[in-house]
Amino acid sequence: MFENTMINPIISVILTVLVCFVISTLLPGIERKYIHARIQQRIGPPVTSPGIMAPLKFIYKKSTEVSSPVPGLYKALPIICFIVVLCILIALTPQAYKIPALASLVAIVGFLKVEEICYVLMGALSKSVMSVNMPFPDVVKGAAHLNATRSFIEDISAKRSLRMITYGSFPLYLALFAPVTAARSIFLQDIVAFQQTHGPFLFTVSGGIAAIVFFIGYMIILNEYPFSIIKAKSDVIEGPYMEYAAKYRAVVVLTRGFFMFVLGAIFSVLFIGVPPTIFSPAILINIIVALIFVFMMGIFSAFTPVFTNRQLLPTILSATLLGILSIVIGLL
Amino acid sequence: MDEKVPRSNIIETEIPMGTVHPAALEPYRVRLFVEDEIVQEAEITIGVNHRGIERIMEGLPVEKANSLTEKICGICSNSHIYNSCRTAEMGLGIEIPERAVYIRVIMEELERLHSHFLYLAHGCEVLAHETFSMRVFYMREIVMELLAMIGGNRVQYGCSVLGGVRPRCDLDEAKILRLKNDMDTVEQNLSDFVDRFMADSILLSRITGIGVLPQKQAIELAVTGPTLRATGVARDLRTTMFEYDNFDFNVITQPDGDVKSNLVMRALESFESIKIIRQAIANIPDGKVVTRDWEMFDTDIIQSYIEVPRGTLYHSYRLESGRVRHCIIRTPSMANIGAMQYACIGDQITDAQLSIVQCDPCFTCTDRAIEIIRR
Repeated sequence: MFENTMINPIISVILTVLVCFVISTLLPGIERKYIHARIQQRIGPPVTSPGIMAPLKFIYKKSTEVSSPVPGLYKALPIICFIVVLCILIALTPQAYKIPALASLVAIVGFLKVEEICYVLMGALSKSVMSVNMPFPDVVKGAAHLNATRSFIEDISAKRSLRMITYGSFPLYLALFAPVTAARSIFLQDIVAFQQTHGPFLFTVSGGIAAIVFFIGYMIILNEYPFSIIKAKSDVIEGPYMEYAAKYRAVVVLTRGFFMFVLGAIFSVLFIGVPPTIFSPAILINIIVALIFVFMMGIFSAFTPVFTNRQLLPTILSATLLGILSIVIGLL
Repeated sequence: MDEKVPRSNIIETEIPMGTVHPAALEPYRVRLFVEDEIVQEAEITIGVNHRGIERIMEGLPVEKANSLTEKICGICSNSHIYNSCRTAEMGLGIEIPERAVYIRVIMEELERLHSHFLYLAHGCEVLAHETFSMRVFYMREIVMELLAMIGGNRVQYGCSVLGGVRPRCDLDEAKILRLKNDMDTVEQNLSDFVDRFMADSILLSRITGIGVLPQKQAIELAVTGPTLRATGVARDLRTTMFEYDNFDFNVITQPDGDVKSNLVMRALESFESIKIIRQAIANIPDGKVVTRDWEMFDTDIIQSYIEVPRGTLYHSYRLESGRVRHCIIRTPSMANIGAMQYACIGDQITDAQLSIVQCDPCFTCTDRAIEIIRR
């Protein structure tokens, strides 16, 4: 009896994770093929290419030796990111509600913070050939400042990631805590139960505002245009991901698609009250929400340039104020 | 507009970029001296594209040398062969047929259109606005096809020859009709693009007041072409070129010298190019397109300046026994790139590449000198 009660939830969690992961591999392709390419009036890649075929191809490529002071840690970071996203999804499943320490907002915020810290470490540990390293001397006579510390472009990326941890992802966390004001609990089980009784939090004034803030935070944490300052092509190019090739790049690509789905699932749980589980047709809601977010993100990113600090700060400040407003309304 | 002064003499961090960087179409090295992501000084180094074309040209028959100049640049290839032929024609006193002059003007203006469109598309790409970038590339495609129709190729057209233009580049009725129709399409598309571009407040916030090059500094640093005109100086060499005597067009200027002025400048200048092409196809005279009635003789140093899409292009050489001697080519980017070191001071690092590419630099054209480091 004990074995059954333990094994069944584990199997259902594994199946749920597998299904969600397979669906998540299509999301980057959907964004690029059906949104970006359609808006830009071009054919675009096959829908399976960015999320599935490209990682498969990368896995079988020979990897270059990463240029990093701690190559082992640098190479492990994408895997840590993937595990973090996996943990968030597991925490969202109803089977995990039996472990309150895991299925709570504090745990989810903690996992998201680990994800963000990984970006900082990736940036700090990447030392690509695109900046300081040159095969010939490039410090010319008459240079303006000969004694300045030479810095890699990924270092800027690390600093920006740190700033994003400090204030950039603030709107997302405010939006995450907005449903708490209604459910009066930080445990996902209570938040879901509250919404199943009183209706989705999304359809309240506080929930509507928080949903907007969540969407802004969703784009920020996914480093999508216009919030992709940590990997802006105009200066830091790929930023933290610069040195990843072959199988490491494959993990980065897979993690991104998976993260897109999981963030959608977080929204489904916190704002609609539908946790992802393969044994309920309501998982369709999780999938639809993930797709809606991908569509909205694709449309926004296709029509905006990358924000520099000048645009980023006011935008984040406005989103933060909106987030505070939603919490205040929720408390009232 | 005030002069830009670095905030401090003590610079803590240097961010080198390149030689390969996706924001630049060609390889170059830039060292940014920054304080808290604000550029205090910049140092641009070129030299990795040096091919020694001037040296190769020396000793070649002038016809071959002319063809070689076309290989200097993949974007303004026509401008180089045009000015090279023009240089020889000035020295040898060759009078080219009026119809050839018109065809050269059409080619030059088509090239200006495709160069300006490439600039706009690249500018949008550096801004990470892929949608606008793609839209401009579609417009450019029409122009590229027109260039291929006249010249036979999309890049190296080989249109100008000594004494006029190649007979295969002559324009028949069908070509003229297609030119006319396509100019209407390009004008409509460009108008739509400019309207949308100027209505996009987010985009404007990224480019307004960024990479400012004050007029005084632009003149001091010998900036030419649209980059100079974007600072408010109405100087266009086409107003002094005999080829453009029969054409009515405006010299476009913009007041601010920033990225926005440069982008808008080129968009508006494209309308003037369309206007010139329309006048050319409406009034193109009949007759032959090349004259063979000339003789080769030794000349003194001949110099020719023309207005190309990026500014003033200078070609000079001496002819001796039908061969080129003492060849010098100076492209507009030579001065413009240097000025961009100044333009990006005070901006964010994210805007630095944008500030540099606002002058539409062509590094391959410009690489003329190398420094040999002896160890």
